[in-house]
Amino acid sequence: MSAAGGSNPEYVNARVRSRQSQLFSDEDYRKLVRMGPAEIARFMEESEYEEEINALGSRYSGVDLIEFALNRNLAKQFNDILKWADGRLYDLIARYLRKFDAWNVKTIIRGIYSDIDHDAVDVDLIRAGEFDDRFIDRLLDAGTIEEVVDRLDGTMFDAGLEQAYEDYEDTDVLVPLENAIDRAYYENLLEGLVVDESTEQYREYLEAEIDFRNARNALRLARSGADIDPAEYYIEGGSLFSASELVTLSQNPTELLSKIRDSKYGDDLSDALDDIESVNSLIGFERALESALLEYADSLGYVYPLSVSPVISYILAKEQEVDNIRAIARGREAGLSEEEIEEELVIQ
Amino acid sequence: MFGDAIRYYEDTTQMLENILLQTQSSGPAISAPAAAALAVGLAAFGAGYAERGIGAAAMGAIAEDNDLFVNGLILTVLPETLVILALVVVFIV
Repeated sequence: MSAAGGSNPEYVNARVRSRQSQLFSDEDYRKLVRMGPAEIARFMEESEYEEEINALGSRYSGVDLIEFALNRNLAKQFNDILKWADGRLYDLIARYLRKFDAWNVKTIIRGIYSDIDHDAVDVDLIRAGEFDDRFIDRLLDAGTIEEVVDRLDGTMFDAGLEQAYEDYEDTDVLVPLENAIDRAYYENLLEGLVVDESTEQYREYLEAEIDFRNARNALRLARSGADIDPAEYYIEGGSLFSASELVTLSQNPTELLSKIRDSKYGDDLSDALDDIESVNSLIGFERALESALLEYADSLGYVYPLSVSPVISYILAKEQEVDNIRAIARGREAGLSEEEIEEELVIQ
Repeated sequence: MFGDAIRYYEDTTQMLENILLQTQSSGPAISAPAAAALAVGLAAFGAGYAERGIGAAAMGAIAEDNDLFVNGLILTVLPETLVILALVVVFIV
């Protein structure tokens, strides 16, 4: 359960593959789409989510129950993985799972900003990252954003946060803080990563994720026409764009799209790119990015079975499952038709 | 002074000749049973290393699903055949 000692990919991968085979299948989704929130909760009770549904069942109901059970199960699964992994494998997995630390810190700051009470923020946290429960509770107990920033002293978010807090005090918007947290996460992702043959794929995957995030941010900025400097949102480490390129490209969506089409991701995304050019919808493109990543991650596990890749593949598949179930539950609650919900799902 | 050097040279030559003679007369560095023992030992070492990985994976699989115990056990001891085959060497030397 730490970065010390030798790594144990055999043990972790055997458990992870078993868990992966228990994820919901196409068939299950087809059933779930036809159910109401209460039925979905009952369906989940008979699956992997039994413990969480039972634990939360007395306090919440309906879509809230489903949502909180999903969050808790996600956290439990990922904590398990971190608990099993040792040595180098732990480091590689923790790198990726720190995104939940980033998520938690952002959620806590948002909670304080909008004055939401302690418990309501607590259920929205996904305690799957590297911060332990006590540290997260300490962050939760903070009364002001300044205290949160102080308590994060010494963590990986430390660096840019002080500066961002000053910006926040000047402008009273959360964007600089959230931006600083996201950038800290992404910059730590590739920093000091020792790349050998078996982690080469992992690095490629992380680079693809950063590239896609940059592309998405640039497209969103180009669409919204907001007067924001795209360089502020640029994340380093990708292989597709440089900061200055992104600035020029975000003013010219057509060129941005052709740049993506000419890149190594062009083949996977060509349908989505056609879509975005004809229908002009960003949602379809963002979903295509997600499923391209997922497909890429799925193939990861087969080339180097004894590396971190199968674990990352599972983490992504699990996250996608949680997103899908949430989309179904929320979609049913909002009264969307079955076809509309099915369009929202990303199923490999 | 010069005589000492010559005597020393003759001594050394004599010593080297003796060593050369000894080496020619003796057999291989280790005896046949010792070599066979080494072979079995190395095979066992290899089997142990293979079982390390398989055992870890089997434990993982069993932890998730208890029904996999028998399969896990069989797969874990498969590399043991290496040692059994190496044991044949002991009987043929």
